[in-house]
Amino acid sequence: MSDAARGQEFEKKAEKKLTGWKLFGGSKYEDASELYEKAASSYKLAKSWDKAGSAYIKVADCHLKSESKHEAVSSYVDAAKCYYKTSPKEAIACLTMAVYLSKEIGRFNIAGRHCKEIGELCEKELDFEQAIVFYEQAVDMFESEESTAPANQCKKKIAQFAAQMEQYQKAIVIYEDIARQSMNNNKYSFKGYTLNAGICQLCRGDLVAINNALERYQELDPTFRGTREYKLLADLAAAINEEDVARFTNVIKEFDSVTPLDAWRTTLLLRVKQAVKAKELEEDDLT
Amino acid sequence: MWHHLKYWTKSNTTITIWKIRVATYATDTNRDQKRVPGVLSDLQIPFRVSCTSAGILEGEQKKQKVSEIKARLEDAEALIRKMDLEARSLQPSVKAMLLAKLREYKSDLNNLKSEVKRITSTNANQAARDELLESGMADTLMVSADQKGRLLMSTERLNQSSERIKEGRKTMLETEELGVSILQDLHQQRQSLLHAHNTLHGVDNNIGKSKKILTAMSRRMSRNKWIIGIIISALVVAIILVLYFKLAH
Repeated sequence: MSDAARGQEFEKKAEKKLTGWKLFGGSKYEDASELYEKAASSYKLAKSWDKAGSAYIKVADCHLKSESKHEAVSSYVDAAKCYYKTSPKEAIACLTMAVYLSKEIGRFNIAGRHCKEIGELCEKELDFEQAIVFYEQAVDMFESEESTAPANQCKKKIAQFAAQMEQYQKAIVIYEDIARQSMNNNKYSFKGYTLNAGICQLCRGDLVAINNALERYQELDPTFRGTREYKLLADLAAAINEEDVARFTNVIKEFDSVTPLDAWRTTLLLRVKQAVKAKELEEDDLT
Repeated sequence: MWHHLKYWTKSNTTITIWKIRVATYATDTNRDQKRVPGVLSDLQIPFRVSCTSAGILEGEQKKQKVSEIKARLEDAEALIRKMDLEARSLQPSVKAMLLAKLREYKSDLNNLKSEVKRITSTNANQAARDELLESGMADTLMVSADQKGRLLMSTERLNQSSERIKEGRKTMLETEELGVSILQDLHQQRQSLLHAHNTLHGVDNNIGKSKKILTAMSRRMSRNKWIIGIIISALVVAIILVLYFKLAH
């Protein structure tokens, strides 16, 4: 209780400072922002996150008025951290402000990182389209700063969501791009990415494209043909060709027994299986 | 009995040699003419018997024949001893010749004895083997059941080892995936470290610049202080002068 009380005290002092000496003293805003910060930290101790968040926003306002954008950005980020616990929407709002300010300053790395955080928040809220928008923004930031690793991470997420929302072509392009890049630095993750790309191809259902894609991957990495992933993709393509659901399930079961498939892959493969089943039923109906 | 030995020696010569020798010996000694037919008949009977039996003899028959041979060998030894005694009791001229012949016969007898021993030893081996395998025939069923049990055990062990190999492969793949993600993290960290390194260079430059600016500022400040000091002192001097002149007039 005492923390909250102290916080309120600080806030009142700060407001007085602000409304008071309007004419004299250029340090008005700085003093006010200091007091607001103290108030915010005592609110945090008292675990009243809303009040702390609003206090931090006031701090940021003061900093903006005193033309120190750096400080404003950091205060907005602090505000967003407080709002994580209560209302994600407010947090998103704060972070967007922070991103906008950092873009103005020219610190794209930070802007990108914050965009990524916004994207993660949207993901938690299961708002995938917004998340994709923000992740794409983040990718742009990171690429303008030539930091490829965070850019690739965001791209991966974009591809994941795109595939979930059935925008397969986009996902395929991204995965293949990442796979090509990974050949240079991290040879062992190549088959992971190609497997994802292959699954997206299967979801599209275009058999010619799948075979072409497999050949392309083989060109990129000569050892791809010997991996279990290639075998899985080839067998699945064959099973779809023959519209044989049992064979499809068997192949997947075999792969799963050695390395368990994660949730995203399982969902997509399930979609493919249902498509195959539907085709099979269709054929039965016609014949 | 010499004819029995023929089977293993595979030569007729021993028989004939012995026959001829005995015959000559008998003709040499007038007194032993009685013995000659006995010996010859002794020889002839076994000859006939042995000639009719063919190939390798089986266990029991072999034993019989071997005991027969041993008996005959003993007879032959006794005969030779008697011949020896007779020869010694004869005249010296004939004695020497007969003794020489006897020595020949004794050496032949010894040869044949050693052969018999050799054969009986191998025979004993053969007999023991026959006994073993004979009793083994009754246990074939037990043996096959034993084999079945052992086969089952070995297949089970093979299955177990293949299971273990599968588990090992799974763990290895998991480890590989872990390794891949660790590599990715490391890659990211490497990039951020490099970025920080570059930023530090920029920071270094900025600090240098700010140092220059600060020194310039401090110089300006001190210059201003001096100027103000000089101006104030000049003004004070001027005021004093004016007052002085005013008061002086």
